[in-house]
Order: sequence, then structure tokens, then C-alpha cells
Amino acid sequence: MASIAARRLGKELKEIHSEGCPVGINLVKADDFETWWFTIEVMGESEYKGEVYTLQFRFDGQYPISSPAVQFVITDGRQAPIHPHVYSNGHICASILGNEWSPVLSVTAVCVTLQSMLASCKKKERPADNDRYVRHAPDNPKKTQFHYDDDTV
Amino acid sequence: MSRDRAAVRELVIAPWTKHGTTDYDGRGTDLTPSSPALVLPPFSFSLLCTMGNTSSSGGRGHHDESVDYGSLVPQGVYTGPRDWNHAIVSQLIVARKLAPFYRPLEDYEESWDDDQLLAARKELNPRPENSEQPSRSDSIHSLSSKSSSKRSIPNREQARPEAAVYRGAMECPICFLYYPSNINRSRCCDQAICTECFVQIKRNEPTATHLVSEPAACPFCVQDNFGIVYRPPLWKAGIGSDASAPSWPEPPKESTQPLTHRRRQKSYSADSPEVVTTDQIRPDWESKLAAVRAAVARRANRRIVMRQVGDRLIPVGVTSGRIHALNSEEVAEAAEGGGSRRRRRHGGNSQLEQFMSIPGQDLEELMLMEAMRLSLIEHEEQQRKEAEEKRKQEEEDAAATNARGSPSETGTSHVSGPQTISGSGSSTLATLPSNLSVQFSSEASLAAPSASQQSREPLNTGKPNSRSNSRSRASAFTTDHESSNGEPSNSRNQRTTNPPPFSALNAALASASTAAAILGNSQSSNQEAHTPVSPTARESTNPFLVMAQKEEQTRNLSPHNLTQTAPTSSDDHPQRPPVPLKLSTPSSPRTSQDRSDHGLNDQLSSHGHLASASNSEPFPSSQKRKSQLGAESEQECNDLMSRDNGQRVTSPPDG
Repeated sequence: MASIAARRLGKELKEIHSEGCPVGINLVKADDFETWWFTIEVMGESEYKGEVYTLQFRFDGQYPISSPAVQFVITDGRQAPIHPHVYSNGHICASILGNEWSPVLSVTAVCVTLQSMLASCKKKERPADNDRYVRHAPDNPKKTQFHYDDDTV
Repeated sequence: MSRDRAAVRELVIAPWTKHGTTDYDGRGTDLTPSSPALVLPPFSFSLLCTMGNTSSSGGRGHHDESVDYGSLVPQGVYTGPRDWNHAIVSQLIVARKLAPFYRPLEDYEESWDDDQLLAARKELNPRPENSEQPSRSDSIHSLSSKSSSKRSIPNREQARPEAAVYRGAMECPICFLYYPSNINRSRCCDQAICTECFVQIKRNEPTATHLVSEPAACPFCVQDNFGIVYRPPLWKAGIGSDASAPSWPEPPKESTQPLTHRRRQKSYSADSPEVVTTDQIRPDWESKLAAVRAAVARRANRRIVMRQVGDRLIPVGVTSGRIHALNSEEVAEAAEGGGSRRRRRHGGNSQLEQFMSIPGQDLEELMLMEAMRLSLIEHEEQQRKEAEEKRKQEEEDAAATNARGSPSETGTSHVSGPQTISGSGSSTLATLPSNLSVQFSSEASLAAPSASQQSREPLNTGKPNSRSNSRSRASAFTTDHESSNGEPSNSRNQRTTNPPPFSALNAALASASTAAAILGNSQSSNQEAHTPVSPTARESTNPFLVMAQKEEQTRNLSPHNLTQTAPTSSDDHPQRPPVPLKLSTPSSPRTSQDRSDHGLNDQLSSHGHLASASNSEPFPSSQKRKSQLGAESEQECNDLMSRDNGQRVTSPPDG
């Protein structure tokens, strides 16, 4: 019996294959229901014009009730965009990936959201605490999110 | 920003009003959901089924669990823990206030006939589902016919209600599976959600550092207090179906059933009787929260007991944090001048045992205790050696014995700068006034009543003094720094070297922050006045210190959170990212292009705000500001915290 995650991701994937990704977003690989890669490019005028980044999604068995672990890929010569909410290790600080995740969101919806996060950037810079964070960051950005959930309020 | 949000929402909501019918209210009163008390015993139920297209027959073994061709138990869409209250969920289903767990269809086509419908039902449960019956009804032996849907095909196809309920099936926008059109609807925005998904949505579990448990938000429109409204079909089958009237007066027709859902005009408030909220099916959330809060409170009340040896403070234990017990003990202690607690100076062993016996003490604390114990042993060993050396030296240099200073008691000093208090002899430690720390903290921390009370708590009048937390912290800062300067530590019973200069300013600062934390606890409105820990404290690397501060931080946060919960959530609400509602519109099946475009537009428009907001102000929301406050004083704690801090800096995508 396939898990809910696999079943839903299967449907999302089918939809991506049949209807394509939104503009500026392309599926790189989705060989299983654990890790997917997308390229993401900001269309139109922006700080990131002409730059292509790679997003990695990691899913656990409770997706979509639990959020996917989403980050930029920084291996294989790929870079994380320089953005106030993106750490140099690729981790992304976005509430919809953490405590404001909704199971209604889909993979492409997350891509689009992050795309527009980049598009709205006015100044390319790293988060203020980038170095400190990156030094101790867990592999899985969701672990960070966990502490974030813990301590925010 | 919030205005824009509202605009977006209005835009989304607007189409619904066009329909204008509140058909839920128009529902006949005779269809009021039956109360759980009306549940019929399985026997009577199965015997009363007489219709040809019977909803059930001899299947008493499982049909007693069926409601309107759905089940009382999940069909296995989710594999995680089923941590909701099953009895309540069953009751709600029987009462027709929550859709039964229908077996979902993997796909759905309008053109499918019954067989295809039934075949499309997911075989999710390990236990075969039970509804379909061969045409010969009523025979007990058909109990054996847990036949697959395929085998039940033979005849009477269009009449089979268990297939007919799937006419006009709706896709649940969360699990992407199809369910009969009598699906739950979110109370706020009228979106479909199947029961399997609904029972998965819950509050975040409270943790020791996150003492707020906010009600789950609607996954569609992120309104707080997610709840659903269920409109049962106009007929009943299975449990609760009327005994005298045919349970299936009018089998659902494909033409009527799918059309019955009109967009609601109004939304239901979370407390209206039709609504089932996520809290209702997990009534234990309150006790869970209370338990975590109690644990945190206990931990926050705990103080590290320091023992002063010479100019050094050695952590020798942790108070239990059970403040009432401590108070009485404290009284007794004050009366008899320090009896019972004296055993603490034997080191961490007794403490360790004590901790072992307290349920709920976590490993972290035990490890801390052990570290303290080892540190103490090591220190005593070192002292012993030094004492021996010193004694040898003194024997040679006989004149020196009683001349000089005492251990530093500079904690009592005020802002007058480095200062020492000379004791009069080698027994200084034992004879120090027992109210030392009280004196200190009440003077240094503005004589706050609660502060002095707190700081008195761990007071130990035993020979090696142990200090209140504020005192300990203050001293420990300096001792930590001083000892790194290579000052020799002092032997226990000997008069010692001159105490190092003590920074009273640091002490005052640190202890003021302690007092502020305590005050913040007792009067949460004072929260804003909380002063960050002094720079010295921030740089400190003393683990015990850190521990103390951390505890205070936690303690400090808690009352704040409690009082702020309501405003926060309402405040916070408009910032949530707009979810493209369109994607789950029942009349237009999900299309990715559709969804993405809307998502893009929504996100883009709101992102404009983010950019400006976050440029001018790193913590756009009040919530973020609040956490900044917390973060500052927390910074020194550990890396973990610094990570959080990093997280906090980020604002939600729409500001």
C-alpha cells in the first residue's frame, strides 16, 4: 500500500508531466518520491535575471500533512541565490516551508512561491546571520524549522 | 498589507455569494442528525433492512460500523499515528456531523458505471471493506461474502447505492483522492476536505520552548480554529438509519447528488453547533499543553546551587524547582540555620539520586548533574593538593598564617567598583551571614519582592555557602574570567590569596536581568522592560551559567506567551500566505496551470510588500519583533538558539 505521500506525489508528478511546470520552473529529476529537483528562474526584470537555480525537495511519508524539506542545491557547481532569506548552504527561510505550511500547497505551488520570493528581492545579500547559521545548520532544513517553531512565539 | 490581503480574500470569496442560497439552512428539520444515543445495535439494524437494494444484510460483523456506506474507521489513506479520539470521531460520524470514512477512488470519471466506480475504490485497509453484497440479501451466510467488488457485479447494477454514492465524487484537495460528494466542508471557506485528511490536522504539539498551542488553522484560507461542517445526504443507511422508514427511500441519483452542494454564503463560527473543529476530536490538547507548561515551570523555577570555595563558585546541584516544597524547606532552613540542605555539599550524588526519582526529569539534567559532580570532584582534588602545598609552604614560612584576606564576598558590594570584603579568619566561609544573597539581590535588583524571594530559595547556610542564582551568576561571570587569568584557587580552610577584583557592574547587570526575568514572570506586562543580559554574560562560556540563563529565558518567555496568544494569532493572521483557493474549487477540477497562475499572481502581489517591509524593518510582524526581543537575550545561549534566530529573521513570503 503506497503511502499518502507517494500517492499524492504521484498525482502531482502526473500533472507536471501532463500539463507542464509553471513558467520558469522545470523538473530536473523526480526518480522517486523522496527527492525531486527543479530548476527555477525568475522571469522578467529582477535581481536574478538570467540566473538559474536548482531547488531540491525532500519528502517524508507524511507529506502533504508535513511540509517538504526544500532548499537550494549547492553541489555540482550549483549555487544558492544571494537573497536575504537564503543561506549560503541553500537553506531557505520561508514560513510556508515551516509553520505556515499548508497541505493544500503543492510542489509547484512552493516553486512558484519561492520564485516570487526571489523576484521581489531588491537587494542581493545574505541573511545577517548567515555565517553563524551555516556553521551549525543541520542537514535537513526542517530541523531548523523545528527550532524555529519552538522559539518563535 | 492587510488591506491587500483582505482584498485578495474578498476576491476569492465573492463568487460564492452569487449563488446566494444557504441550502444548509434550508435542509429539512426532520433530517437533523441523529444523536449518538440513537445508535442501533447491529442486530436490530440488520434485521430491519428489507429493501431490495438493501444497504446491508447479514453483514452484521462489519455493517454495524457502516454509516451511509462509509466507515467509522479510517481506510488507511494515512499511515501515521491515529492520535485523535476515536470514540468522538465515531460519534460524530454516527451523528452525521462528520462524513464517514469512505473508501476513496483513485480516479473518477463522470462516465463510469457502478462497476467501474466500485472497482476504482481503493483497497486501502488491510481489512477488506465490507459494503457490497451479492443480490441475495438477508441471508446470514452472506457473511462470508466479503467479496471483492468485482464479484458483486452480477445484477442490479445501477441500483447499488454503495456505488451510487460515488456519483459526482469530489476530489479532496489534500490527498487528491475522490470521495462521495457528501464531503466535509471547511467551516470558514467552504472547501472540501475528506475525513481522512481532516483528522490529520491538529495543533502543533507544544514543546518546552514553545508553550503556545494555537488552534490549527484552515489549510485553505488559514483562518484560525479550523473546523468543518458536514451536510449528510438526504437518506440514511447503516447506523442511525431510521428503523421504521425504509433506510433508502430514494437512492442517490447521479443527477441529483452531485448538484446538491451549493456554495454557502455564510461561514460558520468555530463554536456553532454544526461545526466540528480539530480540537473537538483531540480533546486532550489542553492537558498536553498543561503538562508541558508544568514541566517548563518546574524547570524554570530550578536554580543551580553554587558553592563558593575561595573565589570560585562550584555548581553543586540544582534545586528541584518545586517551588512550594522549596519554600517550606527554606523556612525550615532559615530557622535552624541550615541543616537539611547541608548534604548538598557532599556533591551531586544525592542530587543525582533525587533526580532519578523524579519522574519527567530528562537526560539532559542528569547529565548536567553528573558534569557538576565531576567538576566538583576534580575541584576538590585540586584544592586538596593546593592545600597540601600551601601547608608545606606555610610551615616553612610560619609567620603568614592569620594575616590576610578572605574569600571574595564582593557580591554584596554595590556599584562602587572592585572591592573586597575582608573576612576575619579562616572560617569566613562558614560564618558568612546566611542572608547574603538576599541582601545582594534585593539591593542590586531594585528590591523586587519576588526577586528576593526567588533568590533566597537555594540559599544554603551550610559551611560552604551556596548561593542564590542571581548571586551565583554574577559571581560566576567574574570568577570565570578571573580564573582564566591564572589566579590560583583557594584551599578550603585556609585564608587565601587576595580575591580578584570583582566587577560589581557586571554583577548588577546580570542580577538585574535575573530580577527582570522574575518580574516578567510575575507581572507579564513588564515584559518590555526586560533588559538583555549584559555583554559580559553574552560572552560567557560557562556552561552552568548558560544553563541558568537559558532557564530564565524559558521562564521569561512563558508568561509572555500565555498572555499574548490571542492578539498574536489575530495579528498574525493576515500575514499568512494566500492560498490559491481556486485550486480546490469543486466545480472546476484541479488544473495545474490554473493553480499556478493564481498562485503566482497572489504571491507576486503580496511579495511586493514583503520586499519593502523587510527592507525597512527586519521583523515585520509584531510576532517577529517579539521574537527578536527573545532572541537578543537568548543569543548567548547556544548554537541551537542562534539558528533559531536566523530563522526568525525571515518573514513569511507575503510579508
